[in-house]
Amino acid sequence: MLKVFASKPKGAEPVTAFDKAAPSAEYPWSLLSGPKVWRTVLPPALAVALAFAVTALPIAISGKNPVLAYWALLRGAVGSIDAIAFALNKSTPYVLAGVGVAMCFRSKVINIGSEGQIAVGGVAASWIALSFSYLPSPILIVTALLAAGVAGAVWAGIAAVIRLKRGVHEVLGTLMLNFVGTLFVSEVLHGPMGEIGAGFPQSPLFSQAAWLPSLFPGANLHMGIAVAVVAVFVCHLLLWHTPFGFRLRVLGSSRNAAAYAGVSFARAVLEVMLIAGALAGTAGGIEVLGVHYRLIQGFSQGFGFNAVAIALLAGLNPIAVLPAGLFFGFLEAGALSMQREMGVPSSLVFVIQGLTMVFVLCSMGIGLKQQRV
Amino acid sequence: MSATLEMRGICKRYGSVRANRHIDLTVPRGRIVGLLGENGSGKTTLMKVLFGMVRADAGTITFKGKELRDHTPRDAIAAGIGMIHQQFMLVDAMTVAENVMLGWARAGKWLRTGEISQLIRNASATYGLELEPDAVVGELPFGHRQRVEIVKAILRGADLLVLDEPTSNLSPPEVAGLLGVMRRLREEGRSVIFISHKLGEVLEICDGVIVLRDGEVTGSCQAGNATRAQLARMMIGRDIARASPPAEQTPGPELMNVQGISMRDRSGFERLHQVTFTLREGEILAVAGVDGNGQEELVEVLAGLKKQTQGRIMLGTRDITVASAKARLKAGLAYIPVDRVNTSLVQGMSIEDNLGLRDFELSPLRRGPWLDRRAFRQQAVLRIAQFGIHCGGPDLAAETLSGGNQQKIVVAREIGRRPRVLIAFQPTLGLDPGATQFVVDQILALRDAGGAVLYISAELEEVLMLGDRIGVLYNGRLSGIVRRHEADVTKIGLLMAGIEEAAA
Repeated sequence: MLKVFASKPKGAEPVTAFDKAAPSAEYPWSLLSGPKVWRTVLPPALAVALAFAVTALPIAISGKNPVLAYWALLRGAVGSIDAIAFALNKSTPYVLAGVGVAMCFRSKVINIGSEGQIAVGGVAASWIALSFSYLPSPILIVTALLAAGVAGAVWAGIAAVIRLKRGVHEVLGTLMLNFVGTLFVSEVLHGPMGEIGAGFPQSPLFSQAAWLPSLFPGANLHMGIAVAVVAVFVCHLLLWHTPFGFRLRVLGSSRNAAAYAGVSFARAVLEVMLIAGALAGTAGGIEVLGVHYRLIQGFSQGFGFNAVAIALLAGLNPIAVLPAGLFFGFLEAGALSMQREMGVPSSLVFVIQGLTMVFVLCSMGIGLKQQRV
Repeated sequence: MSATLEMRGICKRYGSVRANRHIDLTVPRGRIVGLLGENGSGKTTLMKVLFGMVRADAGTITFKGKELRDHTPRDAIAAGIGMIHQQFMLVDAMTVAENVMLGWARAGKWLRTGEISQLIRNASATYGLELEPDAVVGELPFGHRQRVEIVKAILRGADLLVLDEPTSNLSPPEVAGLLGVMRRLREEGRSVIFISHKLGEVLEICDGVIVLRDGEVTGSCQAGNATRAQLARMMIGRDIARASPPAEQTPGPELMNVQGISMRDRSGFERLHQVTFTLREGEILAVAGVDGNGQEELVEVLAGLKKQTQGRIMLGTRDITVASAKARLKAGLAYIPVDRVNTSLVQGMSIEDNLGLRDFELSPLRRGPWLDRRAFRQQAVLRIAQFGIHCGGPDLAAETLSGGNQQKIVVAREIGRRPRVLIAFQPTLGLDPGATQFVVDQILALRDAGGAVLYISAELEEVLMLGDRIGVLYNGRLSGIVRRHEADVTKIGLLMAGIEEAAA
């Protein structure tokens, strides 16, 4: 130490400290910039390929040709306009809820309550659709979707407030509210919103004014996917290009650093939960207005956990949630056709999904140190 | 009296640093030997060599007549050496008895909780530990957890206990209790190596004292005929080079005025007591003190990260006593925390984001609702050049840089915005000499440009070289602020050891 202070600084530091060319990104285009693309794309792609390869084994054991089975799956997923529309519709709630979960997980807020938020979103949209069916179609649809978003946000907000005020971890809060939310659907279907004499817990069919319009004439593709795509890009911008996203990223990395950077933990948790809840709630609204045209018991079944899986598959990157969500949607759509044509049980798709998750998480574990925040 | 432990000619180098140079240490049976020295004097290295965590380059260790060579910590424990670290190795959710059984092969394949509990009760009675085997460790006060570590070591058959700064986190009655336990250990014929900065305790309890400085033994004596002043001189006593040019020219107007700051932690323990000081334009107030005497609390209270229980803080003419960290930053208060890994940097974020970590909500980095990425980039390019940060580009993650370059990011961010007041908490910790020099130069440059600096360090040498005025923080009290040329090394050393009357 002694010598250190006594000595003069050793040689001037070079002024040009980094080797790469100066930044050339133009401002508007730079809005699309995020983390390096290949880092996000390569591991999941490999994981998917591995998952298919491994799943070929049980297909072969059951006496079916895996290549033919996968061909049937592919045709079922993308073989026709209708197939694609079906798969896109299936992907929509996954993408919406998944991108919200990705935002939460980014800031280390473990929201596993998408299912409940989707459920209450569906109830809110159905209530508007059934009660105000006299409104003009665009107003009715927008109001119903807004109500769905608000309901989902409130549902997530309850868990956030419990977390902040009572210290109950959000995993517990959101998980428990899933049960409450799905049972709430049953409750309204057995009571005020139920269709009399239907024999199944469902609401009456909505008036056509409340049905989501088609994106393209002739195709059975509702406009939900457009909402989902917009949501993905908005979340991307929020995360990488706004102070709000900066706060989330700092908070997700270190609580101490967040305090040092002047980031309020409570505010960030509340904000991100409200956003994720609103997205999931909207997904619920889209599902009832665009697919079922009525509220059905159990319509949100499994969506919540798929949303978590998709967010993780996407490496918690909003943009990557889009391909990840589409992958899940197309896989499930194709699986139904594989079952029909080849007699391969569609449940094998869950094997593929599960294996994909395992492989992706393994590759993320290896590459965790490179993950950018 | 046969020696339990004899270490002869221990040498250990880390690169160009000679952490231990021909150190001899003898611990007789049934004796307590004090090991004194500043941070970085080689105490920890010596004990790591003894415990087999580090291999010495040269030297021999004889323990109970047998030579220990190329041993592992497991061998050391089996031979009868017990090490009590500052960080306890206990499972909070388990009981005392369960913690004692944990990882102890001789506790048997089946849990014999009853038997072990009886052993603990016996040991507890013998050594005055007052431990209840069924108590859950997490609910025990700090001092008692330490005793769980001691009873673990005793039951595993330790004849020599190494206590690494065992009193640094204890309240005075707990310290008295620990010293009592150590006396009982001595009466039972066990030996103790007591590592401490605290001269009073060392003189009170030890039979012999060894003082280390810069990896060498600078003195050893019988505790009976040593005085605090003697020991302090042995620890610190050297000519202090006055390297940094002092800013004696014009102490400008007052920039920061801190009046009577006190702070209690959650358990009600008083961490800061009536801390009062002023900072003037163009001066460095350097505060010395052994770690854990309230340094962290003081800087966090000043930076707005923790709340004081009383007192007032003025920045210029503005009262910032209740202002948030962000408001203080805006008012011109910069802060370099000690922890680079989790606090002052976000390791996974890019260099340019880290350079904007504290300003991202202010113009020019923020433009309306957006972050202006171009402004981030411009700022990063500027700072990287200004502060000579070696990196592959501003979009690389901070964690890809060396410690020195990481600290340059922090310094560039905090000093680059030309703050009125800078609080620097051990900003050179863990840096190599070149990076240390860089950080020090930057802080001096800030002072010469009219900034005020509060520099807190556990390294007395840094304090003496940088401070225009020098104070000592001991036990949450800031005392003895003097101008540098009036500073008396011995007096400061005594203040650091908590002896106030000498400084009066």
